[in-house]
Amino acid sequence: MNKSVFKTIGLVSAALLVAMLFFLPMLGHYGNDSTLFTVTLLLASVGTAISWNLTGGFTGYVDFGHAVWWGIGAYTTGVLMSNESEWIPQQWPLVPALIVSMFFTALVANLVGRLTMRLSGPYFSIAMLGFFVFFREVVRVAGPLTNRGIGLTIKPVINRPLWYYITLIFVLFLVYLSWWLRRTRFGASLIAIREDEIGAEMRGIDTTRNKVMVFTLSGAITGLLGGMWAYQNTFLDPDIAFVEVRTIDAVMGTMLGGLGTVAGPIIGMVFLFVLRELLWTQESLLQTHLIVQGLLLGAVVLYLPKGLMGLVRGEVAFLDRFRERSSTFDGMESAVLEAQESPISDSEDEHPHDPVALHPTWDGRTS
Amino acid sequence: MDTLVQALINGIAVGGFLTLMVLGFSIIWGVMGVINFAHGEFIMVGAYMAWFARSEWGVEPLYSALPIFLIMFVVGFVLQKLVVNKVIDRPHLVSLLVMFAVSIIMSNSVKLIAGADFRRVNSDIQRGFWELGDIATIPRKHTVVLVVAIIVLVALQTFLQKTRLGKSIRAAAQNREAAQIVGIDIKWVYAFTFALCIGITAMSGALTSTIIPVFPFMGPPWALRAFVITALSGLGSVKGTLGAAMFLGLLESLVATYAPGSSGSQLAVITAFGLLVVTLVLRPQGLFGGLRPVDAGGH
Repeated sequence: MNKSVFKTIGLVSAALLVAMLFFLPMLGHYGNDSTLFTVTLLLASVGTAISWNLTGGFTGYVDFGHAVWWGIGAYTTGVLMSNESEWIPQQWPLVPALIVSMFFTALVANLVGRLTMRLSGPYFSIAMLGFFVFFREVVRVAGPLTNRGIGLTIKPVINRPLWYYITLIFVLFLVYLSWWLRRTRFGASLIAIREDEIGAEMRGIDTTRNKVMVFTLSGAITGLLGGMWAYQNTFLDPDIAFVEVRTIDAVMGTMLGGLGTVAGPIIGMVFLFVLRELLWTQESLLQTHLIVQGLLLGAVVLYLPKGLMGLVRGEVAFLDRFRERSSTFDGMESAVLEAQESPISDSEDEHPHDPVALHPTWDGRTS
Repeated sequence: MDTLVQALINGIAVGGFLTLMVLGFSIIWGVMGVINFAHGEFIMVGAYMAWFARSEWGVEPLYSALPIFLIMFVVGFVLQKLVVNKVIDRPHLVSLLVMFAVSIIMSNSVKLIAGADFRRVNSDIQRGFWELGDIATIPRKHTVVLVVAIIVLVALQTFLQKTRLGKSIRAAAQNREAAQIVGIDIKWVYAFTFALCIGITAMSGALTSTIIPVFPFMGPPWALRAFVITALSGLGSVKGTLGAAMFLGLLESLVATYAPGSSGSQLAVITAFGLLVVTLVLRPQGLFGGLRPVDAGGH
């Protein structure tokens, strides 16, 4: 067993999954509208987890209010496409509405990111949760624009399979985007920020600019997904557009699969989805899925901080070490490879994001 | 004029129960360096226990508050031993995520047991108003909470300043390693602090259950207010917490009073988080004293 075997297994299963998803609408009974509705939602969750992973995983800024972008995107689409908004009663066509939603969410994310991306670790997380609650209340009081939080109705989807394919292709594009981004100079700078922000800054990376850029990108993707959800759902109000569960899912799926890896959010979300469907088949377990999810999150954080991907990679590293004891050179090479690919390094322990940690006093505390 | 006096009185009343709610959060963060993300859920559990005691046995929340404190003290102790101890030396993010998991488990378990309905706890003692001439009225339910808050504050301040255990807690907050060197049993101090704070938090939930609507997902807005107040006051400072809670209470009350239409309570929430954002942006280290994260591992 070596890395290439794992890689092959991964690629084959990924290809099988994509093929299954592509043929799903043609599978008669299994491809009925309600299944497609559910799987479209799953795909949107995978997309959200991928976009969350860009800031949370690659850059190391764990966002507890990510669902705010979904809500803002959904509401922009709703306001534009519904005739219940008093200020914009015209019913826009779908494509321009979605494009405007994406750019509007990106704009808001950019402004918010300029403020919050200067904060260190936990402060950022909580400030983002604050923004989530903040915007939900703003939508409620925004009066004639958002129909005072009562809700907006959009004309229903005409062709469910077509909509399913559009979502599928978009999410596949997101997977590619995330894979490609990880390999660019920009992606490398994000990892550098996660590992050692001060070091990255000293090496000439414009950390603030890159952080705000990735945050904006992440917000734009989630905003577009939110807009697409609003169109599919045909009705939205503040309580279903701004839902904490969407953040929980994104955090949970990414942590479970492997924080900061390309495949992590996908594996994690699919795993969660299967788990949830299994729980939902039992009438008595219907209500327990979030409790199970919480227990799982706690267990993953405590005992499996690198997620399922880490489990696979850890096994590889262990086997490699076992085999390569005879050759120092091979061992070094694999150590270098491992260091390059390691999803989250232990240097997190030094919490490099603390601005106050820059000036320790004699007792190691801050003045 | 009358409206203004009334708004100020309401503000002080709200400030009183905010103080009681926030203390536990602030002290846990200050002493242990753990951001208790499940803080709002402990308030929620306390409120549900008070609701249960009232609807099943007819016990007033004022009287059930002490038993609830004791029960949740034990719960906090066990939780500290089982979970929090494992993450205390890890980075902040790990403890934040673990407490996030705890909060999901707690709110959904309560939803599973008691349902998602909004509940209100009624109380005979805390009903009605005291009239202050023609100028304003003081709601009794707030006064009771305010009085308890003051008692708890004085007791806590005395405990932290005068007793040996209180001094150990402050020593552990200032420098973990030095505290261990002079022979303080750090694990016991942490367990006690966590248990005490969870007890106070649940008690605040029990008392305020007569004022605020009780439902499984009521936690996050209160946890966020706790964060706002802690960001203003600095970590673990009893006096600072009182000042900042009063400030936020007055601000929210004034906004709610003078806001146009029926959107007052929502605008109050917006104000609170606007304040959080402004504080974090202008002074990420906090307003008074500042946010000083306890170093993980004590280096």
